[in-house]
Parts: sequence; structure tokens; C-alpha cells
Amino acid sequence: MADAVFYDGQSARRRLVSVNVTASALDIHEGPDWIASWPVGDVRRRDAPEGILRLTREGASELARLDIADAEMQAAIRLHCRHLDETVHKERTGRILFWSLAATASILLCVFFLLPILADRLTPLIPVSLERRLGTAVDNQVRAIFSGKVCEEPQGRAALSKLTDHLRKSRSPAVDVDIAVIESRIPNAIALPGGRIYLFKALLDKSESVDEIAGVLAHEMGHVAHRDGLRKMIQAGGTSYLLGLLLGDVTGGGAIVLVSRYLVDSAYSREAESAADDFAGATMVALGRPAHEMALLLKRVEGGKGGDGNDFAVPAFLSTHPVTDQRLKALEKQVPSRQGEPLLSQEEWRALKEICKTT
Amino acid sequence: MTATSQVDLLHPSGVSPMSFSGRRREFLKLLVTGSLFQIPTFGFYRFWFITKQRRYLWANTKIGNEAFEYTGSAKELLIGFLIAFAILTPIYLGYFLLGILLEEKKEFASLPLGFALYALVHFGVYRARRYRASRTSFRGIRFWMDGSGWRYAAQAIKWNIVNTLTVGLTLPWSMAALERYCMRHTYFGSIQGDFVGTGTELFKRAGWIWFLLIVATLTWLMSFRLFSLSGLESAAWTATSIAGLVGLILVFLPAIPMAMALFTRWQIEGIRFGEVAVRSKLRKRDFYGPFIKLILSAIGFLIVLGGCHFAGFVMLVKYFGADLQGLAKGQLTLGTGLFVAISYLATFMGLGVIKRYFMGRGLWAITVSSVAVTNLAAIDAAVAAGQPAGVIGEGLADALDFNVGL
Repeated sequence: MADAVFYDGQSARRRLVSVNVTASALDIHEGPDWIASWPVGDVRRRDAPEGILRLTREGASELARLDIADAEMQAAIRLHCRHLDETVHKERTGRILFWSLAATASILLCVFFLLPILADRLTPLIPVSLERRLGTAVDNQVRAIFSGKVCEEPQGRAALSKLTDHLRKSRSPAVDVDIAVIESRIPNAIALPGGRIYLFKALLDKSESVDEIAGVLAHEMGHVAHRDGLRKMIQAGGTSYLLGLLLGDVTGGGAIVLVSRYLVDSAYSREAESAADDFAGATMVALGRPAHEMALLLKRVEGGKGGDGNDFAVPAFLSTHPVTDQRLKALEKQVPSRQGEPLLSQEEWRALKEICKTT
Repeated sequence: MTATSQVDLLHPSGVSPMSFSGRRREFLKLLVTGSLFQIPTFGFYRFWFITKQRRYLWANTKIGNEAFEYTGSAKELLIGFLIAFAILTPIYLGYFLLGILLEEKKEFASLPLGFALYALVHFGVYRARRYRASRTSFRGIRFWMDGSGWRYAAQAIKWNIVNTLTVGLTLPWSMAALERYCMRHTYFGSIQGDFVGTGTELFKRAGWIWFLLIVATLTWLMSFRLFSLSGLESAAWTATSIAGLVGLILVFLPAIPMAMALFTRWQIEGIRFGEVAVRSKLRKRDFYGPFIKLILSAIGFLIVLGGCHFAGFVMLVKYFGADLQGLAKGQLTLGTGLFVAISYLATFMGLGVIKRYFMGRGLWAITVSSVAVTNLAAIDAAVAAGQPAGVIGEGLADALDFNVGL
């Protein structure tokens, strides 16, 4: 017999009770009155501050509590009630670990295997008109990022559209593209969904011949023809959604998302890149021009890093898939059987190089 | 007689002091193991982690000698997160499609999403509070809340607009209004809660901080303007503006713990449950301790970690021939990638533990110990009422990454 406090879960009244611990039950009395008997098998422990054993009875009123401060009685209860720590939602760390890993594995499976397949299958289903609209939306963002000044010098534009026409018409069916030069200090070229291609001024500056630039543009046309931009968007969107929402607020979830997207994107684009190379090679061969010059330009850009310190960032299309010798060799194999006309005259080439000059 | 029955004898005046009895070491252990478990579970353990922290804090918070209890479970939080996931998916998809359809005006297309999420945040804040209230029990009786999350969100948005227009001058009144809404919809069993704190009272106590901050900001902006007119050279100009910014931060930072203490005390002292009232002795300076400890231990931790990093990096380069140039170019090899990942995790986990220890437990313990409840006997009349609330608010908070506190 010892004192304890009983709360019946129905009222907030604190009832001083005496508890009798037997091998079969805890008998609870308030003064001379019997209140309850809890079978030892049903008694469970609940959170309490140190020194207090707080009990409840499984199956009884959900919030009924018995607080026991007496150490001897606590020992007696621990002895008799063998299921104290069994709760309805017993949490086994191993189980949490297992299912977390399972969930993570399934998400990663989705990101690395299912999403690429999904993107591949979905891409042909998306009408070109929708891709164009998507492209315009992306275009707005790209222009915002590069605070994009599109170079408009008339003679340069004329040269560019002549070059574009050559490249387009060499393929059948002709690839619908819209090429523009954008003012940027990063040597790069990008293809957006819907057929817009941006050639960055820095890359144009570094080029030494029309064939180099034609090759780069043909490569980007390959991306457009294969609808790589659209595919990448579907994939990146799905990835960021899955990882971002699932990781919730885990510290640094955002950074993990970034890293993952980076990894996924680069792993994906290697294949797309060689396909675009093939496209560029075929285009150049059809025009009777050497295909490998583009790789020489990219190698020059890559090698020029650090030297002049002029460029703050390695463009993504170089860092994720550098110009390997393998790539260069593949392009060198594409030799035209007959020599074609130069794509632009010397004058036109000069005009193109100076497309960003404002008069 | 045991200690529990002596409460009334010790405090015949009807004043029951609150206390916090949790051991520091226990909480620290809980934090470290919980943080470590987050790694192999890719963050899924957070539901169990947060539940454990709450159970510790609630169970060690006592009025007189009677402790609170947290009855929520981690599984509920997990389910809440899944519900939020289901709600947010169509919103995100809709936004995506909208972005395509309203191609020309991308900025306007994102407005509805921004607004939907913004409203959802307020809704989530209320519902999360409701969840936690209904998982809190005392003397075998559950706290619970009714009221509408959307009505709260509407009020909160209205006040957000007013506060923006008045540059924060109306903040005390908005806090009072929102707290009143919450507390009047909070019950302890059958006893309805109330909030008697007023915006005017809070303004009297903390308004000077607002004036100080406004004056500091204005001074900073003015000096900015003057300097830009004086035509200093760009380097000198940059230096002055940075110095100004540092000065501004030095004014702002010390104001934070003080403002928090003033607000917390005001918030606690306004609480009523029927005849039961609450007092607090929390002083303006009381929160400085945990904040200073937080900053010092974070700095100490970063110094130690920096040392480890350096050592690890040297090892990596020496024994594993890590490709430094590749790293500088942003190319990750397996070795360097692993190193970056580990150091990243260590940094965030460590800082997280430090923050939770001082901001979670530290402030909690100080606040609780400052409180005394008067007329506790009045709650004897309370009878059980209300049901455990749904968990959607917590799920939204988790998925949208906004903080609803512990």
C-alpha cells in the first residue's frame, strides 16, 4: 500500500489513491472506495518526468493515468507488469530504417530509371505547338538570367540567317530552328525546347572559321531535332518535384536536390550529346564541310580556361561532357565525299563576327 | 504523503509555479542519435525525431508537481506529410501547366501559386497548432481546438497586408488579434481558453525596439544616399556601405533575444482558461544566455570542423590523389564527392543539434521556469471534451518547409 495520484481521463480532478499491487492486478482505492482494478497485462507506461512512473490501462479510457512516485512500488509494478513498454504504436528503429531505405530506393529508382523512360515516352506525345509555348516560357527565363541582349546588327543578322538556311535545308525534313546571338561572356550555345538556339557571343568571338560555328549550331540543331530540351525539362521537373517534396525539411534538402539534379542531368546528357554530335556530323557532311572543326573550337575554349582568367565559369555543356578525344575522333570520321562551297563569304563571316556591334 | 499531494500545502495562496526538470544530457543524446538516424533514413526519421523531442519537452514540463504529456505519434506525422503531398501535387502540376499556357507573362502566372502557398502556410500554422494542442494532455484531460484554419488564414493575410503598409507598426495588434483567435478556440476539456493580452500593452513594452530599428534603418539608408551623392570612389563606397550594413546588423542582432523575451512573456501572461490565469517573471535579458551560448558553440563547432576538414582534405589529396583541379572545375570524383557530402552533412547536423539544444530546449526551460499558474484548482471542474485533431497542418509545414516550432 502506498500513495499515488489517479486521473480518470473524464475529469481533471486529482484523486489521491492507494494502490495495491498483486501478481494479477493493480487495485486502486480512493479512501475506502474501490475505483478500479487494472490487470497487470494491460498496464502500460507513459511519458513522465524523472522519478515518476506514469501508467495507463490499455483499452480503458485513453487518458486515464496513474502517477506513482514511490520507488518501492515502482519496482513492484515493474516486476509484475511485464508489458509496460508495449504500446500500440511501438516503434522499432530497424523497421523505420528498413522502410525509409525502401522508400528512398523506390524514389531513386523512379528518378534514375523510370523518369528517363517516362520522359522518352512522353516527349513524342507532346504536340510541337505545346513545346513551342513551353519554349517561349523558358526563353523568357533564359533572357532574364542572361539579362539577355540579343545582337541585332543587320548585316550580321543577314549572314546568320544565311548560315541558318544552309544548315536547315541540308536536312530533310528541315529542322525548324530560330537562331540568335546573345551577349554573354560565357562561351556557350544552348538549344531551348521549341527550336530556339542561342549562340553566346563569347563562343562566337573565340571561333576562327565558319565551319566551327556551323558545327556548333548543327550540334544544337541536333538537340532540337531530338527534342532533347523538352525531354530534359520533363526529367528535371520530375526529379526536383520528387526529391524536393519528399525530403521535406531535412537539413539541406535543397542542396541535395541541386546535387542530384546536376548528377542526373549530366548522366543523361552524355548520350544525347553524342546523338547531337552525330546529327552535326551528318549535317556538315551533307554540306560538304569538315565536321570536326566544331570539336577543335570547343577544345580551344576548354583549354583556354584559367589562362586568360576572362571567363568566370566553365559552361555547363563543357563541364558535364568535356570534349573527349573519343568525341573528336567520332567527328573526324565524318569526312565529306565531295568538297562543298564555303558556307559564308569572307565578308559575311566578318559581319557575323561583329553582329553585336551597335552602330 | 508523497510529494504530489504536498503541492497545495506548499502553495496555499493558489499559486503553482511551473518548472522544467529534463536532463540536458538526455536531450543532447536524443538530438545526436536522432540527427544521425536522419542520414541512413534520408530524412524520414524526422517524424520520429520531432516526436521524441516533443515527448521529452512535454513530459518534463510541470505545473507544481504534475507533468504535461505529449500523446502524438510519429506515424501520424508521416500520414500528415503524405496528405500534404497529395494536396500539393495538383497545385504544383497546375502551376506548371499555367506557366506554359500563360507563356508571355511568366511573372503573373506564378502569382496564383505564390498566393495559394502563402495562404496554405497560414492555414498550416493554425492546423499544426491545433494538432499539437489536441496531443497535449494534463491531468488526464486533453487540450483541443476548434475554429477554422481558413478563417485564421484570412485574418493573418489581412494583418500581413496592414503590417506591410504600416512598416510593422501594427505588428503588436496583429499578434494580439491572431493570438486571441487561437486561444478563444482552445479548450482544456470543457473549459474554454481566452487571451487577454492587448496590442497596446505589447506596444508599450516592445514598441521602442521597433522605433530603434526604424531609426537605424533610416540612418543607414540616408547615409547610403549621402555617400552615393558625395561621389566616393567605388572601393571606398563599397567599404562604407559594408560597414554600414555591419552596423545595422549589430543593432538588429542584440534586439532579437530581447524582442523574443518581451513577446513570449506577453503571450504567456495573456493566457486564461476559465478562472485560471498565468504569470511570468521572464526578464528582457533572460534569452541572451542561450543565444550567446548558441553563437559561441556554433563558432567553436565550426572551428573544430574546419580543422577536421583541413586534415581530411590533406589526407584525401595525399593518399587518394584527389583531383583538385577537377574539383575546382566542378567535377566530382567519387572520393571528393564523398568528402564533400560527409562534410556537408556533418556541418548541418552539428549546427542543427546546437540550434535545437539552445533554441529548443534552452529557451523552453527558461520560459517554463518563469511561469506561475494562479488558481489552478479551478480546472478541477474540467471534464473531458474534444477529439484529437487531424495532422494536415504538420504535414504542410513539413512539405512546404515552414517552421511551426516544436
